[in-house]
Amino acid sequence: MRKIWSTEDILQLHLSRRVFLGGATALAGGVALGPFLPGSAHAAGGDLQIMAWEGWELSDELADWRTKNGVNVEVSAIGNQDDVTSKFSSGNPPPFDAAEYNQGYSDLYIDVLKITKPLDKAKIPNYSKENLFDVFYDKPTWYRDGKLHGVPYAWGLNALVYAPDKVEKPASYTDLLKPEFKGKIAIVDDTLATWPLAATLAGFGSKFPHLTKDEMASTFENLVKYRDQARVISLTYGDAVSLMVSGEVVAVLIGWTGIPVETAKQGLKTEYTIPKEGATTWCDAWFMPPSVDNEETSYKFINEAISPEIQAKVVTRNAAGVVSSKAVELLPPETKALFDYSDVNGIFKAAPLLGIPPLKSAEHATYADWVAAWNEFKAG
Amino acid sequence: MNLSRTKIGAILAAPTVVYMVIFFVVPSLILFSYSFWSSESYRVVPDFVFTNYLDSLHSAVFWKVTINAVRIGLTTAAISLVLAVPVGYYLVYVSRSQTMLYLILITWFSSYLVRIYAWRTLLGTNGVLNAVLLQLGIVDHPVDAFLFSSFAVTITLVHIYLPFCILLVTSSLSEIKPDLIDAARDLGTSSLGAFFRVIAPNAANGLAGAFMLTFILVAGDYVTPQMLGGSSGQTTGLLIADQFRKTGNWPLGAAQAFVMFVISIALYFILVSLGRATGLIVKRRTINPKGI
Repeated sequence: MRKIWSTEDILQLHLSRRVFLGGATALAGGVALGPFLPGSAHAAGGDLQIMAWEGWELSDELADWRTKNGVNVEVSAIGNQDDVTSKFSSGNPPPFDAAEYNQGYSDLYIDVLKITKPLDKAKIPNYSKENLFDVFYDKPTWYRDGKLHGVPYAWGLNALVYAPDKVEKPASYTDLLKPEFKGKIAIVDDTLATWPLAATLAGFGSKFPHLTKDEMASTFENLVKYRDQARVISLTYGDAVSLMVSGEVVAVLIGWTGIPVETAKQGLKTEYTIPKEGATTWCDAWFMPPSVDNEETSYKFINEAISPEIQAKVVTRNAAGVVSSKAVELLPPETKALFDYSDVNGIFKAAPLLGIPPLKSAEHATYADWVAAWNEFKAG
Repeated sequence: MNLSRTKIGAILAAPTVVYMVIFFVVPSLILFSYSFWSSESYRVVPDFVFTNYLDSLHSAVFWKVTINAVRIGLTTAAISLVLAVPVGYYLVYVSRSQTMLYLILITWFSSYLVRIYAWRTLLGTNGVLNAVLLQLGIVDHPVDAFLFSSFAVTITLVHIYLPFCILLVTSSLSEIKPDLIDAARDLGTSSLGAFFRVIAPNAANGLAGAFMLTFILVAGDYVTPQMLGGSSGQTTGLLIADQFRKTGNWPLGAAQAFVMFVISIALYFILVSLGRATGLIVKRRTINPKGI
C-alpha cells in the first residue's frame, strides 16, 4: 500500500533532515577538530579485548565503569603464561588491546619478542609515585630505554600450603619428605614458582636463574625426592585446589595465598605458611601490544585497574597484594593481614622478583635446558 | 549435458578435496619444512638441518614418553575394539535400533573435561569405587592406586573413545550382508564360526581402521594422561605442545610430530602385515563397475 504523506509527516521529515544535517555537521566538525579539543583523545568506549588470569579480568570490579563509558570487554582467560607467549609469538599479532604477564617474562616479551608497546605515562594518571609502592614504580623490570612497558597490577608470594586438620604445620619444605606426607603432596606445574624453589632447596637459590648445567642437574636430582613423595603434578593451581578438597593431597609444595581462600569456599580449611627456606615473589603487570586496536580505552582500563578502589576489590577477591599504597587502607583486615604492608620493600628485598633462565648462554643452563629437564622430571 | 560418473564424482568431491588441501595438506607441508629449520630465541630461522630429528631420536625422554603414548594408545584401542565389536554386531544384525546407537553417541554431548573430573571423583581415595569396596569389606583401607595410574588413564580414555570406535565398527559391519551369514549357517557352521569365518575376515579392514583411528586419537591425547596418570601420564603430545607453547622451538616440535606420525604409519603396516600373515585380514579383490 502506498503511503499518503500528511502535513505532520512532512514536518517530521523536515525536522529529521535538520537533525540529520546538524548531526552530520557536528560529526564532520568533530572528526576535523576532535584531536585539538581538550579531553577528546582520552575518551573511553567501544570494544576492548584483553587476556587476563581467571579472577583478574575485573568483570565485576569495573562493571559500572564499563556501563558509564559504553565499553564492552571481551576476555580470553589465561591458564598459564604460555597461553600469552604462544599467541603473541606466532606470525600474526592477535587482536588484543591489553594482556597480563608475569615479571619473569619481562625480558622475553620486551627485548626478544618485542610484543610490548612503550606506554605514555601521562595517559595513566594512577601510575604515580604517590599511588604505587616504591618497588613497583619506574623499576627496571618493567622499563626499557626510559619507557614504561608494563604496569604492575598485583603481587604475592609463592610458598607452602597445607591442611592443618590433617597434618602438622611444616616448618621446612623438607618436612614434606617425612613418611606421613608420602603420596599426599602435590607439585604444581608452574615453573615460575617451582624452579626458584627447587634451586633454593638444592642450595643454589641465590644464583637462580643463572645456574650452570651441572647445578641445574643437581637441582632436579634433589627435587626428585619431592616427586617421589608426590601424589601428582597438578596442571594448575585450580587443579591443586580440587585435589586438596577431594582429600587426594594434604599439602602443595609451592602454592599461593589464593588457595586457602578457594578451598574455604568448598568447606576445607587450608593454611598458607612460609617455611624457613622462604618464599618466592611474583608480580603480574598489564602490557599493551604494538597491534593495539582501541588504544585510548586500553589506557583507561589499565589506569582503572591500578586505582586504589579497584585494587582493593580485586586483591580481596583473589587474596593477593595491592601495588597501590593508597589501597591498603581500603582492604578488609584478613586481606590486609596477608602481607606486612609496612615493609613491602623488605619483602621484595628478601625475595626479589626473578626472571626466567637465559634464552641463550654458553655458560649457564638455558630456558630450553630447564624445560627439557622439567619434562624429564615430570616423566619420572 | 551428460557427465560421466567419474566427472560427477570429481565435482561432488571437489569442495572437500580443496578444503583438505588448503587446511590440511598445505599446513602439513609447511610444518614438515619447519622440521628442517632451526630456532633461535623464539624465532624460526630458515635452514636445512636434521638436528631436530637427531635430537629427538637421541632423547631418552622423547622415547620414554613416546613409548608411553604408544602403550596407552594400543591398550585403549584394543580394549575399545573388543568392547565395540559385540555392540556393533548387536546393532547391525540383531536389533538394528537407531535409538540404541543414539544413546551410545549421547555421551559425546558431555564435556571432555567434565568426564575427566567425573572419573577422578569415581576413582579417588574418597571416591565411589573405594567407598563400595570398603562397604563390601573387600579392602580395609582406600586403594590409592586407582587414581593417577595407567589404570585410571586407560579406563577414562576407553570411556571417551569407545563411542567413536563403536561408530566405526558398526559402519564396517554394515557392509557385510546378512545373507552371507545365513548362507554360512545353512552350510552348517555355528554362530561363533560364522562370525570368525565370515564376518571377521570381511570386516577385518574396517576393524583395523577402527583400531588405528582410535589409536591415533588416544596416542595424541595428552590432557587425560596428564590429569589422571600422575608420573605415568606424560606423553609425546605434551613434549610437542611444550615446543610450540613454552620454548617457541617450532622446528623441534614439528620434527617430534612427524616422528610420531611415522611411528603411527609404521604401526599400521605392522598391524596389517600381522593380520595378513595370520589370515585374519584378507586382501579384498577390487570389483570393476561391470562386475568382472
